[in-house]
Amino acid sequence: MSEPGERRVVVTGMGVVAPNGLGKENFWRACLNGVSGIKPLRRFSVENLPISVAGEVTDFQAEDYLDRKFIQRTDRVTHFACVAVAEALRDARLDLAREDPQRVGAVLANTLGGIEYVIEQIKALYTQGPRAMSAYTAIAWLQVANVGQVALRYGLRGYSKTPVSDTVGGLEAMSVAAGAIRRGAVDVMLSGGSEALLHPFFLLVFGHSGLSAPGHDPRAYRPFDRRAAGLLLAEGAGICVLEEYEHARRREAPIYGEILGVGQTSDARLPLPPSSDGTYYARAMRQALEDAHLEPEAIDYFHLDGRAEPAADLAEADALRQVFGARLPELPVSVPRTMLGHSYAAAGALDTITALLALHHRQIPPTLNCEQPDPRYGLDLVCERARPFAGSTALIGGRGLSGSNIVLAVRGGEG
Amino acid sequence: MKKLRRVVITGLGVIAPNGNGREDFWRACLAGKSGIRRITRFDAAFLPTRIAGEVDTFPAREFGLNKDEIELLDRGTQFVLAATNLALRDGGLLDPTGRLLPTIERDSCGVAIGTAMGPVEEGERLWRLFTAEGTQPPRYPAGGVQLARLLLSSMPATAIAAHHQLHGPSTVIATGCSAGADAIGQAFWSIQEGRASRMLAGGCDSSINPSSINVFSIMRALSTNNDEPERASRPYDARRDGFVMSEGAGVLLLEERELALARGATLYAELLAFVSNNNAYHMTALPADGAPLQELLRQALAEAGIEGRELGYINSHGSSTPFNEAAETVAYKAVFGEDAYRIPISATKSMIGHSQGAASAIEALVTALALHHQVLPPTINQEQPDPQCDLDYVPNVARPASFQLALTHSSGFGGVNTALVLARPEYREGRALEVQR
Repeated sequence: MSEPGERRVVVTGMGVVAPNGLGKENFWRACLNGVSGIKPLRRFSVENLPISVAGEVTDFQAEDYLDRKFIQRTDRVTHFACVAVAEALRDARLDLAREDPQRVGAVLANTLGGIEYVIEQIKALYTQGPRAMSAYTAIAWLQVANVGQVALRYGLRGYSKTPVSDTVGGLEAMSVAAGAIRRGAVDVMLSGGSEALLHPFFLLVFGHSGLSAPGHDPRAYRPFDRRAAGLLLAEGAGICVLEEYEHARRREAPIYGEILGVGQTSDARLPLPPSSDGTYYARAMRQALEDAHLEPEAIDYFHLDGRAEPAADLAEADALRQVFGARLPELPVSVPRTMLGHSYAAAGALDTITALLALHHRQIPPTLNCEQPDPRYGLDLVCERARPFAGSTALIGGRGLSGSNIVLAVRGGEG
Repeated sequence: MKKLRRVVITGLGVIAPNGNGREDFWRACLAGKSGIRRITRFDAAFLPTRIAGEVDTFPAREFGLNKDEIELLDRGTQFVLAATNLALRDGGLLDPTGRLLPTIERDSCGVAIGTAMGPVEEGERLWRLFTAEGTQPPRYPAGGVQLARLLLSSMPATAIAAHHQLHGPSTVIATGCSAGADAIGQAFWSIQEGRASRMLAGGCDSSINPSSINVFSIMRALSTNNDEPERASRPYDARRDGFVMSEGAGVLLLEERELALARGATLYAELLAFVSNNNAYHMTALPADGAPLQELLRQALAEAGIEGRELGYINSHGSSTPFNEAAETVAYKAVFGEDAYRIPISATKSMIGHSQGAASAIEALVTALALHHQVLPPTINQEQPDPQCDLDYVPNVARPASFQLALTHSSGFGGVNTALVLARPEYREGRALEVQR
């Protein structure tokens, strides 16, 4: 991406709604201190549910940020998105009034849409008849709601997209947004993901589908541990302001880091059971390195996907071994998401933010709950406590439930 | 920016209410055949709208789906897998047994699919089962039930990648009514920029279920012309009263041009430009002056490096809603001036309704076929002219035309507007010669 004449993409702002911290500063402090946001669910009764603990965003009051009418017409997933966007814009010190609205867009990933809202309305339809449904249902429900509402609130008229690639959607949003800036379709992008999937009906679906572990132990999310048995769920949002480098420099914006390259492949297999073959994930890593004009030796930290299922963890370790070879045991790796749970489309965005903050503050946040790391993976997993390091360049890996592999290469600071 | 590679359309696959497969579908479109009927997928008696465009014949096995796929995949995903197989067959990339030819490189072949609704019919069915029609808190049924497909928003692309072992980038985009065209656009960029050499790109949706119909009814977005289903979708006509929900899928095989030429493929058209913006005006509508559409059309012309008057055909969003077509018409006049009256415009939704995420992909496919065959499909149900819509909408009857360039555009939920510009495969060479002269 740094070849002459190529447009470079930097990150100039961040907004976070996470189970272990509202706002970027609180979130980062919690991550450094190994504070988990995974707790017994409080927003509804968990009686008869296979999942009773998750990364729930508990101290969030939409009324503190958004007006009543807006709150009533939108779902929690959109509330999260809007609050994270507002913080990211403030953080980037971006005055949209000074921007050409056609050159500013949004790429916001999401998986299930506004499910809490729509399920209430479907209930109204079935128990009270068609007229009992709110006229705002479609707008609140469809996955495109977040992009639409954010564009409307901030007058963004540029390129806008909604990737829905389940657990890897947030990383894909970064890839799509960076791609649009690189090719010149826009100069500024609000990019990330938002998810509010903790609902009794969907917890039943998750718990019985084999796609997440039935969860009653808040410490059960332990990738690369001998006892790994699946991940725990979460909700939240992560938003980055991505910006063309010269544009950011001209307005003297804070620069957290640069998106240097992207790789994307597919395992091309249906999701269950997960595969232990990391070949195509490794290929995505190599693509990201090549796109960034980097050799594997240049990578100082790998921000893992950490699905916490033995086969999936084996595949991730296998992919890393294919790319980093004998150097792998010296490469620090971590799954800070163990402090949050997996918030599907928000996860990749929160991972990107965490990795950039790690480079910025020169501290790798820890992987929690991994008291019995399994040596067969051969990884230098940063466990329990944050680790200071001096590196500048990282890869961020993400894997979709259905085999989509996305890897971002990032560098911290002005570069 | 690296030099951009050229991208051509070499295969077309479609599942639609008025015909499956390129040939049947195109014949139906040229004959002005409507696929709108009374709803049969559920008893719609309790709803104000009781018509839709259903795919009434769908022999999944004949379209190459295996037993597991028929059992496990939601209906929209089955449609898009079938449309993919049709597109690959049409493009000459399948062997007689339906397998991808061994010479086709799978690592650089990807998938991009748009969907607006996802597996919503399945979601509603499970919710009814778990809650006894909403009368009890959700409970897992004693007999067990197949669940995973509900959670995998990426399934339409994954099913295709898995079926044909395609390891390139695989993605699903959910930008409402523009989703299919957005997926085609993203795929186009992937090939242009060298991240893939071939892409299967398109859209799908199947959401003819009570809650999906009613969420649009309650917004008064749907036609209630229940007595004359085939005449209910009437873009530009004075009596249009809302869109008609439908289902289906459309898939385009996109190829890097040199690769397609080397294997002697039929080139339906070249993709010249993909542009997309946001209204930032309303979640579901264009402003009366169609300003965002004006911007979009100007960007599309600039990106393609062409003049408005060169366009020989526009396949419009034309959803049959009172506001949309009036705003579209204003935007055409603002951008094309007097030429707006000379550029034929037609709306495929008049025949097949609005298949959500599939619609804009099927419309791109129609645009490619119009260029290829040099025939313009009609907008049907043009009976009572609307003075606000006074352009040439190719009323009721298909007509031959001689043209090199066409544009298709869509607008919709979330305010996303998208346009694609297509050209006859020889267009750029012809223009280069002209410049030399």
